[in-house]
Amino acid sequence: MTPRSARGAFVGAFGVVIGVVGCAAVAAAVLVALGLPAQGRADDGPSPAPIPEPRPSTLVVALDLRDPVRQAGVVKGGDVILARGLEVDIAREIVRRVGIPKVRFVYVRPAARLLAAEDPPWHLGIASIRATPRAAGSAALSEPYLGTDQAVVLRRGLPRLARLAQLRSLRSCAVQGSDGARALATVVSPTSAPMLPSTQERLFQLVQTGVCDAALVGAVEVGRFVAGRGALLGPVSARVALGNGYGVAVPRSSPISVAEVARALRGLRADGTMHRLARRWLTIDPARLRLLR
Amino acid sequence: MKRRAFLAVASCALALPGAAGAGVQVWFSSGGEPVPVIRNGTTIQAAVEQLLAGPTAPERGRGIRSAVPHRTPLRSVTTTRRVVTVDLGARFAAGRDEAALRGRVGQLVRTVRSIPGVRSVRILIEGGVPVGLFPGYDLRRPVAAALQERPAHLLGTREVQQRLVDLGFLADPGVTGTADSQTSTAVLGFQKWANLPRDGALGVATRAALVRATRPVPALRAPGRRIEVQLRRQVALLIQDDKVVRTVHISSGAGGKTPRGSFSVYRKERNSWSVPFKVWLPWASYFTGGIAFHAYDSVPTYPASHGCVRVSRYDAPMLFGFAESGTRVDVFDEVALA
Repeated sequence: MTPRSARGAFVGAFGVVIGVVGCAAVAAAVLVALGLPAQGRADDGPSPAPIPEPRPSTLVVALDLRDPVRQAGVVKGGDVILARGLEVDIAREIVRRVGIPKVRFVYVRPAARLLAAEDPPWHLGIASIRATPRAAGSAALSEPYLGTDQAVVLRRGLPRLARLAQLRSLRSCAVQGSDGARALATVVSPTSAPMLPSTQERLFQLVQTGVCDAALVGAVEVGRFVAGRGALLGPVSARVALGNGYGVAVPRSSPISVAEVARALRGLRADGTMHRLARRWLTIDPARLRLLR
Repeated sequence: MKRRAFLAVASCALALPGAAGAGVQVWFSSGGEPVPVIRNGTTIQAAVEQLLAGPTAPERGRGIRSAVPHRTPLRSVTTTRRVVTVDLGARFAAGRDEAALRGRVGQLVRTVRSIPGVRSVRILIEGGVPVGLFPGYDLRRPVAAALQERPAHLLGTREVQQRLVDLGFLADPGVTGTADSQTSTAVLGFQKWANLPRDGALGVATRAALVRATRPVPALRAPGRRIEVQLRRQVALLIQDDKVVRTVHISSGAGGKTPRGSFSVYRKERNSWSVPFKVWLPWASYFTGGIAFHAYDSVPTYPASHGCVRVSRYDAPMLFGFAESGTRVDVFDEVALA
């Protein structure tokens, strides 16, 4: 083939390709106009952005109402009225920050249902749901809004701790079967066997009387643990990281996405709202306790 | 609206059997303990209304208080099969003080349950079921009894003994449930430390102080094993690495005959014969000259010995084991030290 004929062949082939692409484009436009399903067009080029679900004017948030600090309220016909608590306030803030004007709370118990329900009649679930791999697999779970870190409460007379190694050498205790006991076993590894009382009241007595040097209590609960009795104890000096936290459950059918919730939570932390809410409801903001390493 | 009016009438008609003219019991609190007052009325509704009205001015003057918020509205009172349902306004759940929230439920339950024939109380707020609002109560079901918040003076003997063990005044085997002489010895040690009257009895003040007590702390700081003899309090603190392991009731030398200073245990005898006083001294640990810790039958609450440090027979073997040869012993008047 001469160069000229080769060039002619190339131009011919290019024309064919252009023609085919043009036909395909016209066909695709016709298909779109006919409203055929998107799958039929999947290979034909980038699909147009899905039409967003209409935003509701009220976001429905599911609660499990576990205690007066995290969330509590009055259940009336499945709805929760007079809802209050840290998680209730966090939910209100999230809803406000994703631009939905109203929030309605509904009662769902046990909290496991928040993750299990298919197409549930709520848009968010907030109920101290742990961000475990299992939880994340069964529902979309936001990044943690609260940690499960354990606060260290010392007996009177002991100085504040600066390092995890200092905690190791103390006689430590935690309620049997609690996250505190888990933290002792997996993170602290104390040099002497820890004491594991069966109730939180007994735990308090052990630290008060100096039988225990240090008690591990959920950082979320430590404010209540010491409330009104701080003079009987040493400082709440630090926390031990336990590795996970509590996330907001976002059902697949929710009109708001996990990313939006995450953005709202980051905003809450960045502008100090989370700190203010934690101080209001927990009296001690877990995030402000020194992390022992 | 019609239904509510009917319910109110129905509840008003629930006259108390045998209570005509006797009035109703309304429960408030005084000094943290529940107290009843008698008010006019013969119906459950009247009793609840009187509760919501709160104590009168003369009652407040006598220290009677109510945890129920002032002007809490009463929506309705109904009775079904001896279960009384009280529907209150939102004010009943106002506030975040957990003791107050618990207290107001307790007052309501006691008031309604004091009416003969009532089995339990269902509490509603604004027509709904409160969940998680009142710590300690599950109000999803009717409540049959108020939570017992036991005052300190009602601590049982076993609990008191456990506290004494926790605080280091009593050995573990001393938790017997019986107020025996070993317990009395430990109580004396605690009373001395807490500057309470020294009678060895588990009175109200001692029990209350036990609930608020923390472990004794050494007056001096020094590493290792040592003993502090605090002459003013008449106690010996057995200390390991600045933590008080045990606090022991002692009686030192009358008229200041126990020398003050810093010494070390230099001689130990399971049974030591006192030449000048011609008496056996069990569990003797000498720390200066002829001055020793030893067991003795009489260990009064004041300095009574010839110079030695008397210890009860319950504590002496333990102290003997702790005071190894070379153990530092500091004897001082802690007030002077301060």
